[in-house]
Amino acid sequence: MEGEEFAVGCFLSIKTTLGDEFEAQIISFDTLSNILVLKEKSGPRWNIRLLKANYIKEFSLLRQGEDPLDVNKCFLDLTSLQAREESALRQADADSERFGVGVTSEAQILFDALSKTLPVHWDKTVIVVMNDVRVSSPYLPESVSGGTPAANERVKKVLEFERKRMQTCGTSL
Amino acid sequence: MYVLISWNNDKIEEMNMQQVVLSKSSANGFGRRRGDREVGARLENKVLLGKSNQGRIQTTGSLAGGKTGGYESSSRDRLVYLTTCLIGHPVEVHVKSGSIYTGIFHATDAENDFGIILKMARLIKDGTLRGHKAITEFVSKAPSKMLIIPAKEFVQVIAKDVAVTRDGFASELQLEKHQEILIDSVISQSRHFEVERELEPWVPDEDDPRCPELENIFDGTWNRNWDQFETNQKLFGVKSTFNEELYTTKLERGPQTGELEKEATRIAREIEGEETGDLHLAEERGFDLHDNLDIDEEMRFSSVYRGRGADDSGYEEEEDIMLDSHNIETFGDSSDSLSRKSVDFTCSQSSDGVRMPSSSSLVDEVPSFQAAIGADANDSGFNDQARQPACELPSKSFSVSDSGASRIEDNLLAEHGGSSDANEFAEKQSPPENLQLSNSVESQSLLNDKIDGSDKAGPSANHTTQAPSNSLSKVSEKPSSSGELSEGPASSNVTGKKYSVNSRGRPGSSTSSNSDRVGSVSASSGPGLSPSSSMGSLSSEKSTLNPHAKEFKLNPNAKSFTPSQMPVRPPYYQTQVPPLPHTHMPVSFGPVLFNPQVAPIQSPQAYFHPNGPQYGQQMFLGQRQVYYQPEMQYKGRNY
Repeated sequence: MEGEEFAVGCFLSIKTTLGDEFEAQIISFDTLSNILVLKEKSGPRWNIRLLKANYIKEFSLLRQGEDPLDVNKCFLDLTSLQAREESALRQADADSERFGVGVTSEAQILFDALSKTLPVHWDKTVIVVMNDVRVSSPYLPESVSGGTPAANERVKKVLEFERKRMQTCGTSL
Repeated sequence: MYVLISWNNDKIEEMNMQQVVLSKSSANGFGRRRGDREVGARLENKVLLGKSNQGRIQTTGSLAGGKTGGYESSSRDRLVYLTTCLIGHPVEVHVKSGSIYTGIFHATDAENDFGIILKMARLIKDGTLRGHKAITEFVSKAPSKMLIIPAKEFVQVIAKDVAVTRDGFASELQLEKHQEILIDSVISQSRHFEVERELEPWVPDEDDPRCPELENIFDGTWNRNWDQFETNQKLFGVKSTFNEELYTTKLERGPQTGELEKEATRIAREIEGEETGDLHLAEERGFDLHDNLDIDEEMRFSSVYRGRGADDSGYEEEEDIMLDSHNIETFGDSSDSLSRKSVDFTCSQSSDGVRMPSSSSLVDEVPSFQAAIGADANDSGFNDQARQPACELPSKSFSVSDSGASRIEDNLLAEHGGSSDANEFAEKQSPPENLQLSNSVESQSLLNDKIDGSDKAGPSANHTTQAPSNSLSKVSEKPSSSGELSEGPASSNVTGKKYSVNSRGRPGSSTSSNSDRVGSVSASSGPGLSPSSSMGSLSSEKSTLNPHAKEFKLNPNAKSFTPSQMPVRPPYYQTQVPPLPHTHMPVSFGPVLFNPQVAPIQSPQAYFHPNGPQYGQQMFLGQRQVYYQPEMQYKGRNY
């Protein structure tokens, strides 16, 4: 097992103890930390996985391959990394308003759907639409209250529609 | 050492923070916290941090160049490198318990065993909930500003779309920049919703009417054996009133059909094989006219007519001049212009065509003509022009003022002329050098189009009597006659239809606007035309003078012509002319009214009858007021 894990460039099919299954190519394996660095996508951008080797339940070698990492092209621009981080943080800050705390994922999905076309925000676990209409748990059309009748109706409609959509498409989590 | 945290505790983040702070001084494995520079400094060499690394790992070619910590193993280096690549990137961290956190990768303890620090982390899956419950009962928690995950706990870190090498970085940078901009899709957050249906290929229902004959709908369109009208009637009971012959020439089908068809094909082939100066036509016919490299894409593919000068040989200058001088025309050419007598349209009577003896005054403004004519218009238009309704007016040829631009593009006319009037101006005459286009005009773009390049020169003429003014007569269209000018009778037409030839091109040739006209014009064509074709100038910017047009003879009884573009009605127009539809010549004033205004105009009468449609609709495109007084301002057509 060790020998193959060391082989950079090999394509493996891996199953983890947590139930994850995937195929990836080895970029590196660090014995000290027991971390296997894997690459999952081709193209200029990679999907990277850092996997602790001790969680590998089983694996198999698919085929050999070349080293995906071209050492000559490895440059790091720290300033841009920092900038990226900062911008990501800003984004996340802005986003944080979107996530309800203590709400179910279903509620979150509904919130997200409503926010596409209506101004919404969280008030604890209540979705507040247009500052007027409130949708509380369990976020059914019956749970819609407040606001003008028109607004209320509208929110109800959107809610129903979204729920239907969720059923047909399945929720993604 | 870093702080071990058990995050099963709700207060994890707080603990993290506190502990981290407390252990700040001793933390040597952690990346720098904000402001924690001193610590960082020490760790620089050893720890890859987003913020701290002041350049340890710079853009050198070596992998993880900043490492001095003694990790020889390149595999370790790679790990370090890749984790550095993750800084600032959103990642998912799976932990032992099955929970999944998502956040922004901030740092890792590369010195030790790579514990991970995330910022703005959220729990998105709770490992303690199993199965379906994990989804339905999952309750969100507040995001942690900073979350530390010990190495022992983490199972895997997943990062998507990571830029690893230089190529990836470049594109990423741009992407980042773009993401900062609040574009609509960002605002609508649609990217967060990737729930899409599984797409399935469409399978027709069982009871769909199968129409195999429609499958290859583009095959054999001629003999599809499918009558749309019949089908329509059957399906919907709609009775068709379509009669093909309403829209096209009735074909005589009889014993001679075969011959006729052959003849027709032959003629068609002839036409299609004709040489042309028009770029588009040439392309259609397979000729390559693109030797002139000035022709750019626009010229080749645009449908905007630009006077065709460029691609018609010899007409470039004209084009320019025409365009430039358009204004001049409009506003009165400085030079003699005014003497134009707008009435100079000689009636067609003069078989000698238009003579432009002296000044024809074509007013500059005379709306150039017809350029606007649409293609089809050409023929008809010209015809119309040619006809001078009743010209009984003394023929006056328009002399083209020197400045006069001939509005009519010679070539335009020539073309027609050429084809029809072969005799008239068969050969292209080399434009006299001193022809002044001066105001030439305006483009007859339309006309030009029609005229296939070849013969611009047609206009024979040159005989302008006035040498100097050889230039072009402005043709103003002053059709005086009833709209229909028949070409036939030499007498009648023309003057109006004389298009002044573009001086450049053709001095004096009378451009016959139409081939038909040609006949009549012939006589006139020679001389005279040049200066003026009084052809009613069509407003078009470029007047294309018909070298073969007949001399315009003013018809005292002719209906007056309303300048096409008259934004403001001159106050002295007292007749109320109802706004005419586009197809009619806008006539605004009666003959009498104009007299005073048109003082310089010799004829006491207005040229155009207010109500008579003088020209075919095609001609009116940009008509201008015929009588153009120098002081009068250009007025657009008032429709």
